[in-house]
Amino acid sequence: MRYDSITEAIGNTPLVRIDPAVHGLRNIDLYAKLEMLNPFGSVKDRPAWHMARPHLEAAADGDGTVVELSSGNTAKALALLAGMHGLKFKSVTNRMRVPEIKELLLLLGAEIEELPGRSECLDPTDTDDPLTHFHRALSDPASTYLHTDQYFNPRNTEAHAAGTGPEIVKDLDGRVPDWFIACVGTAGSSTGVARVLREHDPGVRVLGLVAHKSDFIPGIRTIDEVHQVGLFDPGTYDTIESVTSGEAIDGMVTLIRRCGLLSGPTGGAAYQGAVRHLRDADAELDGTGERRTAVFIVCDRAESYLSYVRRRRPELLGRADRGNSAASLTDAEARAEARAVDVGEARRWTAEGDPRPLVVDLRSPHAYAALHIEGSVNIVDEVFDELVRGGLPFSKRTPVLLACPVGEKSLRYAALLTRMGHPDVRSLAGGIVAWRDAGAPLVRE
Amino acid sequence: MDVPLYLRPRVDPPLASLLRAQTFLHSLVDALGSPLNVLLPEVVAENAARFRAVYRRHHLSGRVYFAHKANRSSALVRRLAAEDAAVGVDVASLAELRHALGCGVTGDRIMATGPKDAEFLWLAARVGATVNLDSPGELEHLADLVRRHGLGRVAVLARLSGFESAAGRGATGTRLLSRRSRFGTPLGEARELLSALERHADAVDLTGVAYHLDTTGVEEKARALEQCVLFMDECRERQLAPRAVDIGGGFGVGYVADAEEWERWTTALSEAVLGVRPPLTWRGHGYGLRNEGGTVRGTAALYPAHRPTAGPGYLDELLSLPAPVLGRPAATLLLEHLHDLHIEPGRALVDQCGLTLARVLDVRPAGEGSGHHLVRLGMNAGDMSLEEHGVLVDPVLLPRGGPAEDEDAHEPVGVYLAGNLCLEADLITRRLVHLPRLPRAGDVLAFANTAGYAMDFHAHHAQRQPLARTVAVEPDGDSWRWCPDEDYWPLTHPGGTTA
Repeated sequence: MRYDSITEAIGNTPLVRIDPAVHGLRNIDLYAKLEMLNPFGSVKDRPAWHMARPHLEAAADGDGTVVELSSGNTAKALALLAGMHGLKFKSVTNRMRVPEIKELLLLLGAEIEELPGRSECLDPTDTDDPLTHFHRALSDPASTYLHTDQYFNPRNTEAHAAGTGPEIVKDLDGRVPDWFIACVGTAGSSTGVARVLREHDPGVRVLGLVAHKSDFIPGIRTIDEVHQVGLFDPGTYDTIESVTSGEAIDGMVTLIRRCGLLSGPTGGAAYQGAVRHLRDADAELDGTGERRTAVFIVCDRAESYLSYVRRRRPELLGRADRGNSAASLTDAEARAEARAVDVGEARRWTAEGDPRPLVVDLRSPHAYAALHIEGSVNIVDEVFDELVRGGLPFSKRTPVLLACPVGEKSLRYAALLTRMGHPDVRSLAGGIVAWRDAGAPLVRE
Repeated sequence: MDVPLYLRPRVDPPLASLLRAQTFLHSLVDALGSPLNVLLPEVVAENAARFRAVYRRHHLSGRVYFAHKANRSSALVRRLAAEDAAVGVDVASLAELRHALGCGVTGDRIMATGPKDAEFLWLAARVGATVNLDSPGELEHLADLVRRHGLGRVAVLARLSGFESAAGRGATGTRLLSRRSRFGTPLGEARELLSALERHADAVDLTGVAYHLDTTGVEEKARALEQCVLFMDECRERQLAPRAVDIGGGFGVGYVADAEEWERWTTALSEAVLGVRPPLTWRGHGYGLRNEGGTVRGTAALYPAHRPTAGPGYLDELLSLPAPVLGRPAATLLLEHLHDLHIEPGRALVDQCGLTLARVLDVRPAGEGSGHHLVRLGMNAGDMSLEEHGVLVDPVLLPRGGPAEDEDAHEPVGVYLAGNLCLEADLITRRLVHLPRLPRAGDVLAFANTAGYAMDFHAHHAQRQPLARTVAVEPDGDSWRWCPDEDYWPLTHPGGTTA
């Protein structure tokens, strides 16, 4: 297929049936609408383009900045669209909670502004939310900001009413699914699709999924947060249910490992929430011979959420032991097997030893540059850890004095290197702190 | 009525057993009047030990300073004076400084912060306290005093602010906004402060740098901490030798025990503001939320009353967070640069240290058909100012004469708690408070965990209503002993009578 612009590739995403052996529903066909296959990687490509297009075409190559409250996919799509039109993009957000997405946005050329946390010494008469300052900046007459306003802009909903909704009906041969399931973020996709489906068949049931209140799922709001969304109308949904991050990751893993769908946690939440909700209805259909259809949205892809998964399910990213590691030693083993020397002895050894020991400072380069033992070399613990995995990082003929801030890490490494066959590794007891406290000399770089 | 929307307080063992000593608490209120503040001085020492355990876990040295402004009590400061030199007091006025000295805290364990006049500076310098410098102007003032009065070199910390800039050494690609502070020297102007410190080296000795950020956001604090470490480096290049980074307070307290109760209530607040359920507050107050065309706008001006991590746990989290530029955890950064850590917890150090008691004076229905009641207390909003700090938490009902025999027959009830002032606005909280049964005149309501900012911070003499007395209590076998706050000394058997 040939296009003049990547924006023409937005939309017309596949609708893929989930194997019943995976979801276990006997009487309901469950389809995934693969919005993750949009060119910028998510369901947000549609509203981003539809909302930004009038601004971009009017302001192309000017000095304007597209601005949006987003820490995720909308920001990603807008940054790319702005870049294509020679404009800048700024994302204002409460917190970038997924580090990879923050770095990705920086790679795309976005500017990121993070709003302050809540006040600890609260002044109840100060009811200004941090966003007030944002809106004030936007309404400044000299402002060159182009605000897409995704939580209130009706063009967000229109993008789905014109695209996502009709595509689903077309791909189901003109029929409307019995259930439509969507996670609620800006409410744009669920509202837009639901409107179109109901026009075709008012019998469609719409399930909105929100995040469990104390939990966090990227791109989904909690039940309180959806009330702050201008596009959110409770009347859109027949049911609103909450899902946890645990369910989101379960669903994501099922879609990835069993269905070949590289879904992120939001799509996982939609799948898991859909199956959970449909199970009862499915049981009631047993023996009636009737078949029903349900559609859920897979918002985006998995790759940007590795740290999200690592934090919640480290075992999913578990890796095998790669060799020597100080972490494999217990405290008791470190104490029993390592040799520690106090500051006085260490000073004599470094001054008069024959041969003199190599002094290895395990602190960070910045701390080393600020103050260190004269003649020491700096190998920060993280690098040292990598070095010892392969074998001894220096000759057995060289005696070594290891130093860390308080003599704890150095003791572990001294024990480990001794285990690895080094005949004379010692740890500076009490570390650089004890060295300083004893009045021994430290030099600056 | 609807399901009661409780926000029941978190009470740990000593405070919990005090709340069960209902006869004892009633007898105190009978003798000393309503309102009455009750303190547990032993708990403040336990809290200090918890903070120091976090230091130990990260191998850090430095001092835990109690932010005195959180509570005026003598018992708490005297109990902390009995701890070793790793515990100090942070004072914000001349009177607080005098009080700390009089409680037995030696000058070297005192930090003077906040706005300071000449008398405050003079006494701080005289007794060897550390002066947390608010501005270059204050440095000039102090140096001048030291020279004119032959006071000897004074230890000072440079308080910094304005860590927001995305440019320069701290660049991380994103701009993290912070609330503007009126205290401290902006980082961008700190070079001039350093020049002044060098110029005044005969009068002052820079022992560290400080910040205090008014935020619950741990990332903002980690960034400021790292900026201070980088700034300490600049100090060393100039032959100044600061050793400590003072990260202030703001570690927080969890007031409500159960996360679900807090979540249910805050969700209900949004719904009430939208009008889909009856108001939860007096005259439909929204705590800062408002309804604009069916959408909730604004931010609830509420303290996060349920906090999964607060106090020492929050410090631990902050110290474990990687610094945005150098990438090492904050504690490692401090440790490997050989810096001490000073903290100034207020609210968190007096967590679980006290109660405020009020007598129920009158109970009457609040309007027709609502089923709610108006409960008038022997206190006013100034005597129990949790609401002033945005903290929402239920009081504990202590029935007169102990639990009634027909206790189980009672129904939960929604009440508004009104104060003793002849003033429409004098509500202890604007929230409809749910209690397990309707209080009766003569009962006592106990507000838990008021020792931090809520006990005497806003207390006043308006309309000549009495100020609360404050007593210190401690367990004595199965009962409790007490003494007036001013008579408490941290001896083996404190004075006072056994109840």
